Amino acid sequence: MPLIFTIAWRNIFRHRGKSLVIGVILFLGAFLMTVGSGIITGLDRGLKDNIVNSFTGDLLVISSKQINNAVLTPMSGAASEPINNFIQFRSVLKQHKMIDHYVPAAQGTPMVMSDEGDPDFNFIIGVDFKQYRTMFPDKFRVLEGRQPKDGERGLLLTEFNRRTNYEYLLNYWVIPEGAKLVTANLSKEALTAYTKGTLRVKEKMVFMGMNDKTSAMDIMPPVLGIIKFKALDTFIGISNLVDIETYRECFGYTTAAESHVTLNKEQASLLTNADLSDDDLFSNETMFGSAGSSASDYSIHSVKQETARTLVVTENHLDVDAGMYNMIFIKLKSGVPLLKAVNVLNQDLKPYGVRVITWRQALGEIAELATIIKASLFIFVMFIFFVAIIIIMNTLSMAALERVSEIGMMRAVGARKGFISKMFFSETAFLSFFFGGLGILVGLITITILSWIGLSTDNDMLQLLYGGARFHPFLTMGDIVACLIQLSIVTVISTLYPMRVARQITPLHAIAKD
Amino acid sequence: MAISTTPLIHLSSVTKEYPLGNTTVHALRGVDLTVSKGDFMSIVGPSGSGKTTLLNIIGCIDQATSGSVVIDGQEITTMNDKQITDLRLYKIGFIFQTFNLIPVLNVIENVEFPLLLMKTFSKTEVRSRAERLIEAVGLSEHSQHRPAELSGGQRQRVAIARALVTQPAIILADEPTANLDSETGNQILELMRDLNQKEHTTFIFSTHDHNVLAYAKKIVKIKDGLITE
Ligand SMILES: Nc1ncnc2c1ncn2[C@@H]1O[C@H](COP(=O)(O)OP(=O)(O)OP(=O)(O)O)[C@@H](O)[C@H]1O
Ligand SMILES: [Mg+2]
Repeated sequence: MPLIFTIAWRNIFRHRGKSLVIGVILFLGAFLMTVGSGIITGLDRGLKDNIVNSFTGDLLVISSKQINNAVLTPMSGAASEPINNFIQFRSVLKQHKMIDHYVPAAQGTPMVMSDEGDPDFNFIIGVDFKQYRTMFPDKFRVLEGRQPKDGERGLLLTEFNRRTNYEYLLNYWVIPEGAKLVTANLSKEALTAYTKGTLRVKEKMVFMGMNDKTSAMDIMPPVLGIIKFKALDTFIGISNLVDIETYRECFGYTTAAESHVTLNKEQASLLTNADLSDDDLFSNETMFGSAGSSASDYSIHSVKQETARTLVVTENHLDVDAGMYNMIFIKLKSGVPLLKAVNVLNQDLKPYGVRVITWRQALGEIAELATIIKASLFIFVMFIFFVAIIIIMNTLSMAALERVSEIGMMRAVGARKGFISKMFFSETAFLSFFFGGLGILVGLITITILSWIGLSTDNDMLQLLYGGARFHPFLTMGDIVACLIQLSIVTVISTLYPMRVARQITPLHAIAKD
Repeated sequence: MAISTTPLIHLSSVTKEYPLGNTTVHALRGVDLTVSKGDFMSIVGPSGSGKTTLLNIIGCIDQATSGSVVIDGQEITTMNDKQITDLRLYKIGFIFQTFNLIPVLNVIENVEFPLLLMKTFSKTEVRSRAERLIEAVGLSEHSQHRPAELSGGQRQRVAIARALVTQPAIILADEPTANLDSETGNQILELMRDLNQKEHTTFIFSTHDHNVLAYAKKIVKIKDGLITE
């Protein structure tokens, strides 16, 4: 073993107390850092799984007229600005090399009326169920009832909304069409009413949408199923799912069925051509202008009644897409960087009067909460580092001063400053390697055990921290490398000052000490 | 064997001042001194006369306030830290008034220390040189002991072995016998004289013990920071 290492190694044992203090701090620092980054990575992955993959996708296309980005936040109340020309840029999305899946949707907040006529609001998202399932497969469970058939119209009521509606507004409990009451799913209050024999059960709910013409449309979609998102139900379970045509009817927008009727045969055949080029689309722009002109044309309501039921049979996606949406969920291909995709897509979609935002922007404060939790963890870890650096620095500086005569003598005999630095640094490096390494290892084991135990929670805040219903802290290879780098940085920073102190010790200091 | 007449050490008008509060302590007041290769020189003087200060300046561990110090033809007052450190390593052996050894190294490792810093010798050569000197100072049986396990005199002898192991041109010893009983002190002085005679190593040692002076070939007297004789 080289001389410096021998001396450093033996000094560690000679100054056991100090070595242990530094070692314990390095151990704790490395341990907390590892566990912290495991939680952060788990949180990120959980959020990705439970929000991005179940609810929002990576990016959303919204109308460029839309002012507030947080289109998925219930507080916003008003429906987002409509996108009437989706069919024009659909092929852009379809062929885009960054995009894996997309599903167009319309979000809005219709009123729900109690039997007494008291209004409250429910959040609904109108989609094509089939497309939606393709994009977000198996992300919610159907508690009661069933999944809609392809092209079927109706409502998927979330368990969260059923419960809160019952508790705060409706005096009846909603169950799917033709289903039996499942008493196990009753909320506390509903169960009390049930045992008393006073629980009223209904298979339908009335939604009343508003539009800018202030004429309200009552709709009563069949309740197909009661659904529950796998995690973060309180946050994302506020959105009922409804078929897009029902949504359009509810808010008085042009339905695809109406567009269909207003188109002549030639135009319709053009529309159903899946291989439409951009040129074709642009040359027909005026046609879509009339087809998608939202709530302005009310004469078509009479037509709607006739077309509504046949729609199930004759509709295909293209027809559906001819109507109004107000957001398009986009899932990127894996590995595509989010912000780069935002820029590229914004460029590509600029001509269509829409813009692209991230899922975080769309979620507003829910995503912010998760970011805050993440940032706090990060700050906590940084704080641990800071404290560790200060303590190690102080301990080592004192150690240097206690070893003045030894260091000064080494210098007198002919050891250069560099020798002293290396000796000092080697001591900390040994400690850091051993205790810090041990900390990372124990952290890794802790994370593995925690993940294996798989703590689960119903608490909403904890779910945000967990990134879902289950706590799955997780460390990637990159995290471990990052921990090692951080540990090295701590080691270097905390040794710099003590090293400087030691380097400045001269033989004279040693003699003066005698 | 003829002794070279070129001076190994040459000091001219060397002064050393220590600021002390509002006043200044004049430890050396203009010292001129020439030491030739192979000298066995003793510096004597009362306590506080400037012996240690003078040796520290010659040994390159302290800097003169003014004047010129030339060692082996090199002016040291203008050297940087690295050059001075290397000069100490290659040309000078220092035996301190109190014995400073590296606590975590045993006797043989302490003696090997400067040789290992030089990085010029093979492992086996380092070992054999160190062993030879440990034997010379009579510590063969203690070569594996740590400094804390040795007596004061034994530690002093380790320090001497360490100073000699690199075969430096100059060995400086600041009251090498002050902490030793007279018998051990004499043994060490014998050892130094032996080396001087066999290897022509230049010795400069300070003392105010008149017994020690019997060994000296040259005596320089110092008083109040001035060489008087
Ligand atoms: N670091 C210092 N600061 C101030 N004054 C000093 C310092 N070192 C030495 N002196 C002063 O310089 C003078 C010379 O001191 P020095 O140590 O050289 O004497 P010495 O001859 O070695 O004495 P001793 O025989 O007691 O060891 C003394 O007056 C001493 O007080
Ligand atoms: Mg002295």
